[in-house]
Amino acid sequence: MLNVALAKGRLADSCADLFLRCGIRAEILKEETRKLVLETPDKRFNFFFVKPTDVPTYVEYGIADIGVAGKDTLLEAGADLYEMLDLKFERCKLCIAGFPSMRGVQKPRLRVATKYVNTAKRLFFSRGEDAEVIPLHGSIELAPLTGLSDVIFDIVQSGGTLRANGLVVLEEVFDISARLVANKVRLKTKAAEILPLLAQMKRHVGEGI
Amino acid sequence: MAYFKLPSGVRDALPAECRALYAAEGKLSAAFSRAGFSAVRTAGLEYYDTFAGIGSTVEQSKMFKMTDRDGSLIVLRPDMTLACARIAATKLRQKRARLCYFSDVYDFSAGGNADREVAQAGVEIFGEQGAFADAYAVAFAAECLREIGIGDFIIDIGHVGYYKGVLEGSGLSEEAAEEIRGYINAKDAVNVEIALKEHGASERAQAALLALPSLFGGAEVLDEAAALTDNPAALGALAHLKKVYAFLGEMGAEKYVSFDLGTVKSLAYYSGIVFTGLAGGVGAPVLSGGRYDGLCARFGRDLAAVGFAIGMERALRALGEEPPVPACAAVVCRPGGERAGWQLYRKLLAEGKPCALFTEEGEVPAGYAPVYIAGEGGIVGC
Repeated sequence: MLNVALAKGRLADSCADLFLRCGIRAEILKEETRKLVLETPDKRFNFFFVKPTDVPTYVEYGIADIGVAGKDTLLEAGADLYEMLDLKFERCKLCIAGFPSMRGVQKPRLRVATKYVNTAKRLFFSRGEDAEVIPLHGSIELAPLTGLSDVIFDIVQSGGTLRANGLVVLEEVFDISARLVANKVRLKTKAAEILPLLAQMKRHVGEGI
Repeated sequence: MAYFKLPSGVRDALPAECRALYAAEGKLSAAFSRAGFSAVRTAGLEYYDTFAGIGSTVEQSKMFKMTDRDGSLIVLRPDMTLACARIAATKLRQKRARLCYFSDVYDFSAGGNADREVAQAGVEIFGEQGAFADAYAVAFAAECLREIGIGDFIIDIGHVGYYKGVLEGSGLSEEAAEEIRGYINAKDAVNVEIALKEHGASERAQAALLALPSLFGGAEVLDEAAALTDNPAALGALAHLKKVYAFLGEMGAEKYVSFDLGTVKSLAYYSGIVFTGLAGGVGAPVLSGGRYDGLCARFGRDLAAVGFAIGMERALRALGEEPPVPACAAVVCRPGGERAGWQLYRKLLAEGKPCALFTEEGEVPAGYAPVYIAGEGGIVGC
C-alpha cells in the first residue's frame, strides 16, 4: 500500500481528477468528509490530508511515500526529497510586487513582507542585496499599504488582489505548479508500486487543464 | 537558564536505547575484526583547515568552531572518513590499511529535526583499487546490515564518474555544474531543464543530463545510460559498474543491489563508485559510502580508498524491536549480613552470573531476579 500526503482543498480536487484518469479509485477524495485518513476500496492507496506546508515534512520523514505539493511550498521547506513530476496544475508565479512607484527603485535596505521567509532570504542573498525580510502569515498585500514594507514577495495567480489594492507585479521570480514528490528511500524500496504510478501519471499530466 | 535541559539537536541515550546501540555495535565490532579491520579512535577536536582547506570537503556551515589558545580555529570532528584518511596518509607507514571506527560526528547546521551529534560505525579500506575492491566494499556493507539484523534493505549504487564524464565538453561552468548536480540529486528534472537552457550546455550533454534523474533501477539502467553518451570517462564508469555487478553476483550479493546514476554525491569528496544503504522501515539512508581516491593525497600521501559509514540511530530504527534486558540477580545485605552477601555476590560473579549488590535501604528496582537477602544468619531469603 502506498501512503500519499495531500493538501486539502483545490489541490486535492485536482489530484483526485488526475488519479481518477490514471485508473486509481480516488473517488473517495471527492466525498465530503472530515476524516484525515482515507483508504481506496482496493486498499492500494492510503491518503493523508495535511496542511499544504506539511506535505514535504510527511514525505521527508517517510510517513508518506509520496505527496503532492506546490513548488512554492517545496522551495520554502527545503526538505530532502525527490521531486519527480511537474503536475502542471495550480500554476501561478512567485513575484515581487509593490506600488508602481517602486519600479526600478534601488533601496539600500529593502523591506520585504512575505510568507516565504526562507525563499526570500535566499533570493536576496543570492543577488547580494541587503533586504529586511518581514514574516507574515496572510493578507500580505496590506504590508505596503500600511507602510510595514516597501514590497511584498508572494504568489500571484490572477493578480486581482494586487489590482484592487493599487499594487503591481514588479518582477516574476519563480514559476510555480504542483509537483509530485517522493521519499528518497521509498522510491527505491517501493519502486514496484511507485514507478508504474509515475509512468501513468506522466501520460495523463496536462489533460483537462 | 534551565541547566537540566539539553541544547537542540543532541540527546541522552537512556538504558533501553543504549543497550540496543551497544548490542548492534558489538555485532559490528565482531564483524569488522573478523574481516581484518583495526579500530581507531580519532581526536574529537581538529583544525578547521583540515576540512576547509583545499576545495572544502565539509561545508563551513556544518562545523562547530572554536578558537584555540594560539588563535587557530578548531572544530568538533565533523567527518570520520577524512579523519581516517588523515591517519592513513600521515601516521601509518603501510601502503594498505583497513581501519574501522565507532564514533560520533558533529553537524552544526542540523538541529530541529535532525541530530547534531551522530553516532557512526564505519570502515575504510586504503590502498585498494578496482572493481573487485569496490564490489567487496558493497558486499561487506550488505553483510554488516545483515549482521545487525536488518533484513529488508537495498544498497543503491551510483558512480560520480558518469556525471563528471558527461560534463566534459558540455561547456558548463563549474558553478553551473554544481547547481545542476543539486537538481539531479533531488531528481528535479524541471529545474535541470531550466538550468541547462539557461547555461547553454551542448546538445549531447543535455540529453544525458536530462535523463540522469530517471536513470535508476536494475542493472539495465547501465545500458540505457551508455546509449546517452560517447564520453570515454562516462562509458568507463559504466563499464566499471558492470564489473562490480558481476563480482557482486559471484559474491551472492547482487540481490541487495540497485543502481541510481542520478545519485551524484559531492565531487570534492568522491571519485568513483558511491553507494547508499536504504532500509524498508526508515525514510532516510542508514548507510553511506563510496570511493574517495583523492582525499589521502590532500594529506600528503596518495592512497586509493573506499569505505562506508552506518548511521547507528537510523539503523536501530530499522530494527524496531529492542534487545531483551539481560537477567541479573540482586543480593540485598541487611545489617550484619554484609559478609555473607559479599561472598554470595563474589560467588555468582565467579560463576559468570550477573549480579548487583544492594544495601537493605530502599526497594530493589524492577527487573532483578532472583533477589537474595543476606542477614546475620547468612543468606536468609530468596
